[in-house]
Amino acid sequence: MKFAHLADCHIGSWRDPKLRHISTEAFARAIDICIEKEVDFILIAGDLFQTSLPAIEQLKGAVEKLKELKDQGIPVYIIAGSHDFSPSGKTMLDVLESAGLFINVAQGSVEDKQLRLNFTIDPKTGAKITGLLGKRAGLDRLYYEQLARENLEEEDGYKIFMFHAALEEFKPKDLEKAVVHPLSLLPRRFNYYAGGHVHYVKQFDKKEEGFGMIAYPGPLFPNSFKELEDLQRGGFYIVEDDRIEWHPIQIYNVHSISLECNHKTAEEVREMLLDEIKDKEFNDTIVTIRLSGTLEAGKPSDINFKDIFTMLYDKSAYFVMKNTAALTTKEFEEIKIEAKNTEEIEDALIREHLGQIKMDNLSVEKEKELVKALVRALSIEKEEGERQADFEERIRKEVKGNEFLE
Amino acid sequence: MVRGQVLSGEFGKILVRQKSDQALELGELLIAEAAEKKILLQVTGLIYGSQISQQNLELISGMKLENNLPLEFMDPKLRNYTLAVTKSLVSIESKKAAMAKTLPHFFGEVRDVTKEDLSFLTKPKTPLFIGKLRSGSKTLDMDIFLEGSDVFAHHILIAATTGRGKSNLTSCMLWDTTTKDFCGILVLDPHDEYYGRNKLGLKDHPRRENVVYYTPFNAPPGAKTLKINLRTIRPAHFNGVVDWSDPQQQALNAFYKQFGNEWIESIVLEKPLSKGMDFYEGTLAVVKRRLLALLDLEFDGQQLYDKGVFALNAGETTINDICNELESAKTVIVDTSGFQSSTEILIGSLITHEIFRRYKKCKTDGSLAQKPVISVILEEAPRVLGKEVLEKGPNIFSTIAREGRKFKVGLTAITQLPSLIPREILANINTKIILGIEMAPERQAIIESAAQDLSEDNRTIASLDIGEAIVTSNFARFAMPIKIPLFEEFTKESRRGKETTISSFTGVKLG
Repeated sequence: MKFAHLADCHIGSWRDPKLRHISTEAFARAIDICIEKEVDFILIAGDLFQTSLPAIEQLKGAVEKLKELKDQGIPVYIIAGSHDFSPSGKTMLDVLESAGLFINVAQGSVEDKQLRLNFTIDPKTGAKITGLLGKRAGLDRLYYEQLARENLEEEDGYKIFMFHAALEEFKPKDLEKAVVHPLSLLPRRFNYYAGGHVHYVKQFDKKEEGFGMIAYPGPLFPNSFKELEDLQRGGFYIVEDDRIEWHPIQIYNVHSISLECNHKTAEEVREMLLDEIKDKEFNDTIVTIRLSGTLEAGKPSDINFKDIFTMLYDKSAYFVMKNTAALTTKEFEEIKIEAKNTEEIEDALIREHLGQIKMDNLSVEKEKELVKALVRALSIEKEEGERQADFEERIRKEVKGNEFLE
Repeated sequence: MVRGQVLSGEFGKILVRQKSDQALELGELLIAEAAEKKILLQVTGLIYGSQISQQNLELISGMKLENNLPLEFMDPKLRNYTLAVTKSLVSIESKKAAMAKTLPHFFGEVRDVTKEDLSFLTKPKTPLFIGKLRSGSKTLDMDIFLEGSDVFAHHILIAATTGRGKSNLTSCMLWDTTTKDFCGILVLDPHDEYYGRNKLGLKDHPRRENVVYYTPFNAPPGAKTLKINLRTIRPAHFNGVVDWSDPQQQALNAFYKQFGNEWIESIVLEKPLSKGMDFYEGTLAVVKRRLLALLDLEFDGQQLYDKGVFALNAGETTINDICNELESAKTVIVDTSGFQSSTEILIGSLITHEIFRRYKKCKTDGSLAQKPVISVILEEAPRVLGKEVLEKGPNIFSTIAREGRKFKVGLTAITQLPSLIPREILANINTKIILGIEMAPERQAIIESAAQDLSEDNRTIASLDIGEAIVTSNFARFAMPIKIPLFEEFTKESRRGKETTISSFTGVKLG
């Protein structure tokens, strides 16, 4: 028996036009490897898509590859993850399953107030597969707590349990504050536990008492700035007769620059960055620049990134991105505010900066209301499955509908 | 109801003649009136009294026994009686209690104690339930609470011979505190009895989300498998756990200094230390061997494997998770039943070191007031607080015993042998819950370090039945006799009506 274990493909995760195709491409690359390696079936342990209703462009790419698998006779078994699950039930996963492109193995019935999961049996290998979807903020915990275990644990044969959750005992320090489940919530006596949700590659060869191999393949491609820095690339597992092998997917090279800028001026930081890149080539490379510390003089916005970006693109970098969230300056005064809630803090900060918008007939009082209305309008969040254009239109309407923003 | 009459004695030993139709008991609470006050008395001894001389009594007894003569006393109720030796506990005036400094009225009547008399026993702000007030063997319908935040911070000792109800008391206390947000409790449970894996226990608590259970074996659904990453261990955690020689201790420190949190792996893999840090090969070999045994590791000459709770790849956040849970006022039970004593103490040491460090920091930055008090429940406490152990040097538990109250971290030490704990530490434990103790030296150790004068209570302590206790505390007005309810009875009410939220299982295809 040979099968592939993918998770966290997050197709559609990057929004920048230059990166938008990457997750689909990584997925296509992984599927090509699976076909080439002649796997018997493929598991996708949640978050195939970034949202429950992905954009057509990304959907098309994914469907093409899923269709190719169907044509090749390689079944795909999935569960929904915290990103592509929808509490309303409107999810593209259902549509694709109806089209016969994969089987969602989270199936069962409710008996005596307990969830009794059914096994989906892979016709070729006889592997018995079941699993539970992942929900945001650990809301899937109730499912595990009310899970009937006897039928799952007593079933004979090669059994696979798919899940989309971090496990308490194995979580890394980065996930210390995350909502996670204890290992004991998983049913015992499965041969393989196909995990998703955790974006770092981890496998536990030494089987825990009562459990088979537990594995997280990580994402197919890093999904954030930090993941690009930490992981550099994604990948997936191919499991054959209890031997597990991780297959990396390298779409672009990643080069990460991280500089500590304490006691430096904005100009000195620019020079440090130029020094850092001058003798290097960046062919087809995604470059991340992270700056931290407190500038001696100048503001983060004074650092001339244009030169640096230009130089990097001249050296054939594919894409350059920066993060200066942890970079501060001595030129900003510390503002201490005694406030009970966020609104009071916002009010105090707005009052602190009044008089900076120069417009005719704009009194200080009106300026204050204008800023507050803008803060409110811009804090609207994109709804699940909402298209970018619809979202923008909604914000526009909100702004237009406000007397201070007309 | 009149129970007797004060007739003589002195302060601390007031003699009361028992009314003929009454039966006073050791430990019984009585009320005697004195001027505008009431004095709460407690029976500490019972003796026979008679108007007939001892010689005549012996003669009369002989005539009855040997000659079978039908002899009767004249006015037997007047001539023969029982005298109770009592001590004053507090004087009560206008629902307030103060130390008793006067004698009750001479020839004053002594009556039963009523709820009204004890109205000064109010429920504190952070109530810790310890049992119901007891008068002799009678249980009064009066719950006894202590100020939980103070009592936990100033340590508790639970002392009793086996079978007198230590576990039952601890279970009741844990059940009670699990609903309270003023305290987080860490239980190192060497008998795996408090969670109730296969019986009634904290898993059945209506607020079971406040109970966190760590076990190394076969964790029941929802419980956490205990895994502690090797890299969270520091040399100081072994204090009081392993008796290292000086060179061995120096070797540990040298490796920690050079390799940081990878020091244990470095010792096992025999990584070289910097020049000038030389140790005998034998010293390092012993350290390596002891570490492998204690941490249940295996080294095949090339690779290191973990076999038990101390893991190479898991449990990176366990200690922090436990501390976070304690800071959230949860009850954390660590099942240590499968471990050797030293492993159990090491785990306790790891957690306690971290929580103590955090709370010290909170004290410095002024946030300690918002934190719940934390108590560490230690079974067989002399293992870490015993004279023999502490002679080899202090450990985190003795440090907490001495300094913990300043940082809202306390110990709840459970033992059969309080005499093994040094006097200095016993004196620092400001609340003692004394259940039945048969051995005189153990009673003596407790009496000598009690918050209230128990010098007359030696016999009372020896006669305590299962579930009966005396509570002596700096935070109590007097040494209170209590009856601890049976855990099954105590929890019956709150266990009722527990409802499980049933999920709709959205996202699962239900057929």
